[in-house]
Amino acid sequence: MNGVLFAQQLINGLSLGAIYAVIALGYTMVYGIVELINFAHGDVYTAGSFVALALLTVLGATGHSAAAAVVFALIVVLLATMFIMGTSGVVIERFAYRPLRGRPRLAPLLTAIGVSFSIENLLQLWYGPSPVPFPQLVPNPFFAVGPLSVGQMQLIVILSSLVMMAALHFFVQRTKLGKAMRATAQDWMAAEIMGIDINKTIALTFFIGSLLAGAAGVITGLYYGNVWFINGFRAGLIAFTAAVLGGIGNTTGAALGGFVIGFVEVMTAQYVGFQWAEVTIFSVLILVLVFRPTGILGQQLSERA
Amino acid sequence: MRDREARELMQLFHAGKISRRDLLARAAALGLSLGVLGGLGVRPAGAAGMTEVKIGVDLPMSGGEAPNGVPTNNGVILAIEEANKAGGMYHFSETLKDDAVNGVHDPAQGAKNVQELIADSAVVGIVGNFNSNVAKACIPITNSAGIVQISPSQTNPDLTKPPAALDLRKANPSKINYFRVCTTDDLQGPVAADYAFRTLKARKLAILDDQETYGKGIADQVEKEFKKLGGQVLSHDGIPKGTQDFHAILTKIKSEGPDAIFFGGVTTTGGGLIRKQMPDVGLKIAYVGGDGIVEDEFLKVAGDSAEGSFGTVAAIDATKVPAAQAFLTAYKARFNDQPGAYSANGYVAAKIILDAVKAAGPDREKVRAWVARLKNYKSMLGTFSFDQNGDTTNRIISVYTVKGGKWTWTDQVNFNG
Repeated sequence: MNGVLFAQQLINGLSLGAIYAVIALGYTMVYGIVELINFAHGDVYTAGSFVALALLTVLGATGHSAAAAVVFALIVVLLATMFIMGTSGVVIERFAYRPLRGRPRLAPLLTAIGVSFSIENLLQLWYGPSPVPFPQLVPNPFFAVGPLSVGQMQLIVILSSLVMMAALHFFVQRTKLGKAMRATAQDWMAAEIMGIDINKTIALTFFIGSLLAGAAGVITGLYYGNVWFINGFRAGLIAFTAAVLGGIGNTTGAALGGFVIGFVEVMTAQYVGFQWAEVTIFSVLILVLVFRPTGILGQQLSERA
Repeated sequence: MRDREARELMQLFHAGKISRRDLLARAAALGLSLGVLGGLGVRPAGAAGMTEVKIGVDLPMSGGEAPNGVPTNNGVILAIEEANKAGGMYHFSETLKDDAVNGVHDPAQGAKNVQELIADSAVVGIVGNFNSNVAKACIPITNSAGIVQISPSQTNPDLTKPPAALDLRKANPSKINYFRVCTTDDLQGPVAADYAFRTLKARKLAILDDQETYGKGIADQVEKEFKKLGGQVLSHDGIPKGTQDFHAILTKIKSEGPDAIFFGGVTTTGGGLIRKQMPDVGLKIAYVGGDGIVEDEFLKVAGDSAEGSFGTVAAIDATKVPAAQAFLTAYKARFNDQPGAYSANGYVAAKIILDAVKAAGPDREKVRAWVARLKNYKSMLGTFSFDQNGDTTNRIISVYTVKGGKWTWTDQVNFNG
């Protein structure tokens, strides 16, 4: 085995897995708190790319603008997109899921699939049915690290994902609102009795999950240079798998699951054959679930019963 | 102004979005006389001696593949309008179906569409489909219904050639009903391989395909031919559907050290993004594809990286044929756009059915038999016949290169005679 090549693929896996991980966080947080598989989440991620594209067009940022202007535009667009997508997550929860809370679980699940199709079709109406080029604002030079090379965009993807994960971890574990979220996830009725506004807490969960997806949408738009209204489907499916693999409901698990799947995908491309990528991803999932039905870091859900 | 409104109405009508009654009602509302519409090729039904005849069309008209279906269908529209203008006993119109679901061509949708077309007794023949895997689902249906189906663009050899094709026409094996005016990947593949080997001087090739009927088919043909020429195929991988990130597979390909990459598939199944991401891993080698990437969509998706890519098309370039100049002028005048790679083929496919109706009458079996006997048919793309399997004898492959952000014709290979 060629060690340099293996390490190079590790870098590819890290940047691919980072994106899966950030999207998986949204799945796992929502599942943790309302036990809903929010199938619309992958499309919220893609919608983030389109919102960023629209904002960049409004700001008139192109590859030819001055570097300082580009950096300023990117920061504005990133923050605005995160806020807009977060808000859209709250709106989706308020109108599509909240009216169905407490109903049989199949109802919100099917609603989520409906929301997913609605977002896809809205994006198609908005920007048309073809892939849309995303302005290439960040140059992508390569840095040599010994025999390896790392692209600037890969570094940005990996670092920004790690920052987001760390921020989320701090928020959930160290703040009062995070504590309220954990309490609601454990037992929403008890949490309500303790004076936690669970409607607000659930809305906050959707806000944060969608905000992260929006940020991932901006970053992948810049990285791949293309957005297509249908992209959220595969990204969502894989990220959902990552969340299950890591132990759904567990944020650290979702991040870990994202990276594991990223590595499985690149190593399959390198050593097995790219066409088997999905086969190996789901084989790993099945194997893990056979031995650990709750996922790598998942806990027994009995306390919820 | 009136002209534009009339033309828009006609487009809606030809696209099957409004009925003849609606058309006439709306025309009256706009104060358009029937004469204005008549000049554009429509006459009121029931006018003396006119029989209404429909041409069914099934193409991917929406999603990322609209840039394939729309210009091809424009060719069909042009043929129908010209036939109507020429007059005669029949009035022709088209019934258009879209086989793209969520932006991607779908065999099940194609099958449903042709069933609906067959159920309409006024439809005498079908132009379509665009993608080879859709034909695999449709040919058994059209064969058993005994209706003629002419494809402008499907290049997979197994659709017509035995033994594989015999499975598709089990219902009426002796009555060939599926024809195509483009040639096949068993020619297109070798041309791409030849081009890579002889002109680009590549000796080591890496192959990627999208695992679809067309993509894998042409990639396998390239692999076979490239090895036959004495070249080395280092790897041949398939792409999982919907993949966005090709850095891993391109890193692997780079480590193998090929001289060129061949991609079998279309822009939206990976053709564009692979090209775009090649520079990301430092791959500076030639990129060759089949007709699936010779489209404007590819230039948009691959961006600046598209420059210098090569692609083959299983048809003659209409701009290189003197007989097609009238078509090119008419197309630009009618649609205010350049024709697509398969617009001329769409026109010729429709024209064969129109000529069959004029010669043999609006009867499905008579039309089919007329097309099956087609010999030395004079079309703007050259004089050709259909062989015993339904393939055209006009076997020409064109080679294109991206130059200055545009697909530019570079060469053609003629297998005729």
